[in-house]
Amino acid sequence: MMVAPAVLAGLARKVLRVRFGQMMVNEALKRKEFRIPVHLALGHEAVAVAVDAVMGPDDALCLTHRNIHYNLARAGSIRDELAELRLDATGVAGGWLGSMNMSNPSCGIVYTSSILGNNLCVATGVALGSRIKGLGAATFVVTGDGAMEEGVFFETLQVLRSFELAAVVLVENNEWSLATRTDERRCPIALDRLADAFGIHFERLSGNDVFHYTDRLAALRQMALDRAGPVIVEVALSTLGDWRQVQPGYPEGKFINYHHGAAPTVELSEWPLIADDPCDPVHVLAQRLGSQDVRALARSVFGCLEDEIR
Amino acid sequence: MTAYVEHVNGIIRGIAAGSENLVCYGQNISAGSCLSGLTRGLVPGPGGQVLNTPNAENTLTGMGFGLMLRGVSSIFFMKQLDFLLLGLDHLVNTWNLMRRNATSASFTIVPVVVDSGYEGPQSSFNALADFCSLAQIPGYTLTNADDSNLILGRHLVAPGFRILAVSQRLFRTEAIRCGSARALDDDAGIIHYANGDDATIVAFNLSFPEAVAVHDAIAMERRSASLFSVNRLLRPAWAAIIEDARRTGRLIVLDDGKGANRLGDGLIAAVRAVDPRVRICSVSRDYDDGWLRPHADRMRVDSAAVLAAIGLQTAA
Repeated sequence: MMVAPAVLAGLARKVLRVRFGQMMVNEALKRKEFRIPVHLALGHEAVAVAVDAVMGPDDALCLTHRNIHYNLARAGSIRDELAELRLDATGVAGGWLGSMNMSNPSCGIVYTSSILGNNLCVATGVALGSRIKGLGAATFVVTGDGAMEEGVFFETLQVLRSFELAAVVLVENNEWSLATRTDERRCPIALDRLADAFGIHFERLSGNDVFHYTDRLAALRQMALDRAGPVIVEVALSTLGDWRQVQPGYPEGKFINYHHGAAPTVELSEWPLIADDPCDPVHVLAQRLGSQDVRALARSVFGCLEDEIR
Repeated sequence: MTAYVEHVNGIIRGIAAGSENLVCYGQNISAGSCLSGLTRGLVPGPGGQVLNTPNAENTLTGMGFGLMLRGVSSIFFMKQLDFLLLGLDHLVNTWNLMRRNATSASFTIVPVVVDSGYEGPQSSFNALADFCSLAQIPGYTLTNADDSNLILGRHLVAPGFRILAVSQRLFRTEAIRCGSARALDDDAGIIHYANGDDATIVAFNLSFPEAVAVHDAIAMERRSASLFSVNRLLRPAWAAIIEDARRTGRLIVLDDGKGANRLGDGLIAAVRAVDPRVRICSVSRDYDDGWLRPHADRMRVDSAAVLAAIGLQTAA
């Protein structure tokens, strides 16, 4: 593994921290404490923690409206994150950005857009600027299976490749865009072949193993820097928090995929598991490290977070 | 004679060569005709780059803002203003995020307004005021040697974001030069060229040559007119123009923009509110089906009719 052991030791703790942080936000959403829309990323914790672990000191991260997991992973204080969601002046952006545009330049999150595909374009400039300034830094830009349908996805790959810019284009593929699954709204897109068309290295990650993700993202970041060119990483994941809504004509309830707002069936507790299968990074963590150890770790993290926000 | 495009090109080359870490980019800016001479001979300053780009206007518009985030200044030269429509998301949404914080970096878009005619129903968009009004974007037009000197000098690489538009129709014409041109403020948003007693002429958008023709027509009548250009496309400060119009008693407003929201209408309303006695003649362009096919695409100004409208008759 390319990542130092000391860093690996903290990864599990951070996955739990990001999970608990989102669950705390979820409880606040249930209480309708926020005036702004919030897009939780339950189930996305492994990739966010991995990105956080491998980012260099001058690296930049450009995000989308579903950014809470990266913000929690990079931020030092959950209290400041919650304050930002409340639009308080003590928030990470002084209450000026809320959720969908939440960035935190002091943590390397330089830009966040609520417009699908917008951050891809800006990331090209961030990457070019890093090179002009001789920072030796990589630019991470997160997008999704919905945003990659936008024309700017094609344009951005072209520009990144043409200008030989060190960027990691990370596609979080949860197979949903709002309320339609991929196969309900479009033809398949072979992202590996699209990458190949531009001569861009492509890799697919799945399984929600934060240790594996960290190892691979570290290698891909270095590849982008060594080759002075972009790489594409497609991460298969599930956005957890869906539920069934009682409706006429649906004896078992209508399936509602989680998109934004409160996840009504997700409850905060000292054991933050949502799904007892590999679609949940907490489940994968327990499988890797042992359930008892991870539960003990979770209690510790939960206690720390409660102290932070008290 | 120095052509308008040569004059503008000279200023841009000088500023670019003297700027550190400046990125100049756009399609064919250092290839072929170099945007019909607009970017010919562009050489980067220390640490800078001149980049010929792919055709990806949406991304390239966002790229300038991304460079700004990294503290790097840039100029995006665009062959046609029409192409900037593809980057509207950034002109509104990215700009709204960027403008929250002061920056030391500059991002300037220099589009060529294709107003030379016979392009057909497309490739002739010139409604710059509408563009800038979308998200209150700073924007300026360059219509002669004097305003080019003032506006490029003041704004081309200044911190912040703006659009500086040039006119393709004027490219090969002699760059008009008025010896007494002066900006009314540091912004160079309104420029004053001449003082007169009998009329106040104000050129909006890219109609300065037409305004000069009207000014000369008034002189032929042995009368005199003040001459202004409003180069700033966003909330110009009218006070000096209003005062001049009250003094002369006659206001002539020329605006060749094809958009429905004309900046000059605001000036007219402001003058009427202050002094309804001022006689006003406004020449602009209303929608015409002729726009939908190749045509001259030029605002025709009948100087005689203008003078008659404000009581300055033409010589028999």
